[in-house]
Amino acid sequence: MSKIVMRFTGVGGQGVLLAGEIFAAAKIKAGGYGVKTATYTSQVRGGPTVVDIQLADSEIFYPYAIDGQIDFMLSVADKSFQLFKAGVREGGTIVIEPNLVYPSDEDRKKWNIVEIPIITIAKEEVGNVITQSVVALAIANTYTKALDEQLLIDTMLSKVPAKVHDVNKVAYELGKKYALESMK
Amino acid sequence: MSELREVISSGNDLAAIAAVDAGCMFFGGYPITPSSEVMHTISDLLPKAGGASVQMEDEIAGVAAAIGASMSGVRSLTATSGPGISLKAENLGLAQMAEVPLVVINVMRGGPSTGLPTRVAQGDVAQAKNPSHGDYKSITLCAGNLAECYTETVRAFNLADRFMQPVFVLLDETIGHMHAKAMIPTPEAVKADIKLRKTFDGAPEEYKPYGVAQDEPAVLNPMFKGYRYHYTGLHHDADGFPTEEIETCRKLIDRLFNKVDAHKEEIELNEEYMLDDAEILLIGYGSASLAIKEAVDTLRAEGIKVGMFRPITLWPSPEERLYELGQKFDKVLSIELNQGQYLEEIQRCMGRRDIAKLTKTNGRPFSPADIIEKVKEL
Repeated sequence: MSKIVMRFTGVGGQGVLLAGEIFAAAKIKAGGYGVKTATYTSQVRGGPTVVDIQLADSEIFYPYAIDGQIDFMLSVADKSFQLFKAGVREGGTIVIEPNLVYPSDEDRKKWNIVEIPIITIAKEEVGNVITQSVVALAIANTYTKALDEQLLIDTMLSKVPAKVHDVNKVAYELGKKYALESMK
Repeated sequence: MSELREVISSGNDLAAIAAVDAGCMFFGGYPITPSSEVMHTISDLLPKAGGASVQMEDEIAGVAAAIGASMSGVRSLTATSGPGISLKAENLGLAQMAEVPLVVINVMRGGPSTGLPTRVAQGDVAQAKNPSHGDYKSITLCAGNLAECYTETVRAFNLADRFMQPVFVLLDETIGHMHAKAMIPTPEAVKADIKLRKTFDGAPEEYKPYGVAQDEPAVLNPMFKGYRYHYTGLHHDADGFPTEEIETCRKLIDRLFNKVDAHKEEIELNEEYMLDDAEILLIGYGSASLAIKEAVDTLRAEGIKVGMFRPITLWPSPEERLYELGQKFDKVLSIELNQGQYLEEIQRCMGRRDIAKLTKTNGRPFSPADIIEKVKEL
């Protein structure tokens, strides 16, 4: 596997950090290298947040995604989408929450923009908005095929309390289902 | 420390874990971005290890409490960021003068003043050399990767006890918050390597805590153990009591310098990356070195022979090695996330003023592309 570079963006408080840690930890468990960095503003809730994830088989020195090399981005807030979209390589995939992110026609020509109502899925179908990071995790892995699915799910479960294992498993399955449907 | 273990963690967490593994028993501090996780994590770990962690009312009280704990004989830590060091400066001077060992973790962010709280910078390098007024020798270590957040914190505790003074460990926002794999020594290996401060076990009436050789630190027994002496920020005699006697005052400050200068080889630590056949020398430290390494690899793939020199101990600086490198390399580029705070030291050590510089102070990290572009301009 060559290097896979992903970027999750939102606003502070949405919980996009955890998904990045899960990806990095799962890749390391598989014997490779994973690095997560998060950048946020001093406006903790509501400020644009970006999480960069790099997964590779050889050592990664520089911890941030390099603009133009990002294969996959997921965005659940418009201001973060606008600020960070330029880092995605031309033709790369950007999954957006269509109720909160508003790409232009030019954006749609430059990138493969996929609309999945991530927050609505978490809130209404899973029944817990906090699970949006796991919905996002499933979508990202279904698109990038970065990691063995079971390994990723096991790593995710190891990082959340036992009492919410079931709800997070549901969140993962729903994220995967919507991602597969969006590819049709 | 041959046996290594794999951990998945962040730099701030690794620094806190290292402190506990190194036998730290007290943390006094106050939360500040981007260092707060050091306090969060050690507050969880220390009580389980039999120690105590106290969030004080402010930065000044945080360092004061840590100094007090150290006076009682235990290994002690405070952690903060640049604005916190500004507030702690007076007490750091007291610890230098009274020779109280202490580890200070500074996770650097943008400044001056409150600056850019959540963004990266290396703006506290000059501050770490002289945070307080007066003459003393700073010992400042700088982690350049996740593993070093652990190993340099451990080393800082041993150096603080060896030289009886505050030792800085500089991290920065990037290294403190990045989350990845690190290979670090086992706690058993760290414990086996702990070198505690010297103590005096003779007759109490013969105890002269500050009456030591001119190249040695004070020998300060733990308080409340039957050995009476005095702590002060004033010039003091062999018992620690204030004095203005001319020779005693001269010798005290000479010794504060000489105890470090005479034993620099115990403190110096550097990394050299791809230097052997290099034609261009890049110098950087901390998180900047992550971008530099990536740039070195990319440039070498294009046939441009560059290498990196990275001081891990920033103060005292690696004077001799920098001089040698300055003689060997025609093209030298200094790379820092400040306006050139270490460049002046490189110029001094090399005896040259033609060092190129790449600096950034907008709170953003260097990208490898920034460095590659600059190298091609040289």
